[in-house]
Amino acid sequence: MDRLDIATPERVALDLPLAGIGTRALAYLVDALALFAAWVVAYFVLSLLVSDVLGFFQGFSGLVQALLVAGVFLTQWVYWTACEVAFGGKTLGKRALRIRVARADGSPPGLLESAVRNLCRAIDFLPALYFLGLMTALVSGRSQRLGDLLAGTVLVRDAPLALPRFEALAPAGSAPSGPPLSPAQVELVLSFLERAPGFDPEARRRLARKLLDRFGAHLPDAERARLAASPAATLDFLRRRAS
Amino acid sequence: MPEPLAAFVARRRADWEALSALLETLDSGRLSLPDVESLDRLYRRAAADLARAQLEYAGTDVHRALNQLCARAYARIYRSPRDRAAQLSRFYRRELPALVRAERRFVLASAALLWGGVAVGALAVAAQPAGGERLVPEAVRQSVDEGQMWTDVLSLSPPEAVASRIATNNLSVVVVTFAGGLLFGLGTVSVLAFNGVMLGAVAAYCARHGLLPRLLEFIGAHGPVELSVIVLAGAAGLMVADALVDPGERTRRARLQERGRRGAALVLGCAPFLALIGLVEAYVSPAAFLPGALKLGAGAALGAALWGYLLLGGRARAEAARAASGSPARARAAREDSTRS
Repeated sequence: MDRLDIATPERVALDLPLAGIGTRALAYLVDALALFAAWVVAYFVLSLLVSDVLGFFQGFSGLVQALLVAGVFLTQWVYWTACEVAFGGKTLGKRALRIRVARADGSPPGLLESAVRNLCRAIDFLPALYFLGLMTALVSGRSQRLGDLLAGTVLVRDAPLALPRFEALAPAGSAPSGPPLSPAQVELVLSFLERAPGFDPEARRRLARKLLDRFGAHLPDAERARLAASPAATLDFLRRRAS
Repeated sequence: MPEPLAAFVARRRADWEALSALLETLDSGRLSLPDVESLDRLYRRAAADLARAQLEYAGTDVHRALNQLCARAYARIYRSPRDRAAQLSRFYRRELPALVRAERRFVLASAALLWGGVAVGALAVAAQPAGGERLVPEAVRQSVDEGQMWTDVLSLSPPEAVASRIATNNLSVVVVTFAGGLLFGLGTVSVLAFNGVMLGAVAAYCARHGLLPRLLEFIGAHGPVELSVIVLAGAAGLMVADALVDPGERTRRARLQERGRRGAALVLGCAPFLALIGLVEAYVSPAAFLPGALKLGAGAALGAALWGYLLLGGRARAEAARAASGSPARARAAREDSTRS
């Protein structure tokens, strides 16, 4: 997956995972549906207030007409930028899909960046349904559409990642046996222990046996055979081994 | 000998989960002061943990989870300064006029395209009446043939409705003119030239039917400013196109971002003028009780004010700064100031 590298004032390099075209398209759909729903609600509210909606619109007073045009303008242009500036780079759709707009240094966009990327929707939409924007995102390397290229923004994933469940291991302090494992090996054992309850018993026994042979190489053969005889003992050994 | 991964996670995990919970709270509302303080503390510690994970546990899931945790916290902690009012005032007092003067090549090119279009349109109608008149929209031709101005319709609808429609319509034209620069300038050039040809053809057609004074009377009040803003938007679009076509010694991506920012500042800075002139177009231009000379005079004054502001605004200050930059201490101070901002 593509990533955006940034340096923080804490002198730690962060790399942010970029959002791909699929996620972006889904977020757009959510936004479009939300705006559509807002119009539908506005229509029904109006129809509660006014019994004859059609007649009301035909007799358009100047004020209502002005409000209507202002509403279209708001949903077409202002909604996106207002949301992105106010909520740290997230419209409703982006919030739902757990992505956000970011500058090249990872911070949320300012008014200028956000306005630029959203005004360019007029061009990215061409000739229909964001075709130009999609093509640009495909070739631009960072999944940026034209508006993003012009504003210097990217979309990054903002979802929390689950930490591996270290509770599956034995509590710290129980004597580990044998030479210490590398972090990657610890996570291998961990992911096996985490998923073991859901495995088919035969598959679980076979995998546990493989791990035992690999990480119990320092044990005498008799001891290893004893552990392999009981599935519970094998799991317990692995649990202590990785702690 | 690094700490075993399991021990590291067991020791630090509670803090990471607390930080993650704080970020969720922050997203759905506000934090109390003690929460803000612990957010700061927890973020710094998580960043230190991340630095350690990069060194000792690189490539593990713990490393990835910590990286994502720090990235989420970073985005919520570091934001651009919120001094909007001061920024806005500085932008209009100094930066926007300076920007227009610095990019005058593009402004001139954009104006040449628009007025070249006007000349072509007018000449076409004057020299080839049969063919040239096809440039004029059907509806306009019909009402002019009847000796009527098609703009009379405007004075029939309520002005506040017309104002909002005109304002959004003009803004759309300006947005397309600017963003059309992304099509290697094709969009910008075609909007400028097409609108110019249209204007020239309509003017020549009205002149043939003796309606030119009424046309001038109608567009006189808002025309100068409206056309000027379109020319400026065209200049911004040409800046974008220039960055794409000829990025110089930099990559297209870098050049596009740099020039795009300036172009966008130009367009967005001029948008309020366009919205204001929309009011003039709705209320003043169709008003039958105002004498034509007054409308023309007002339009000329508004146009002169706009260009006076753009060509002269902030110039005294800029020259003072240039003169002062001769002294080393001031130049250093200015440099430090610019790196800080």
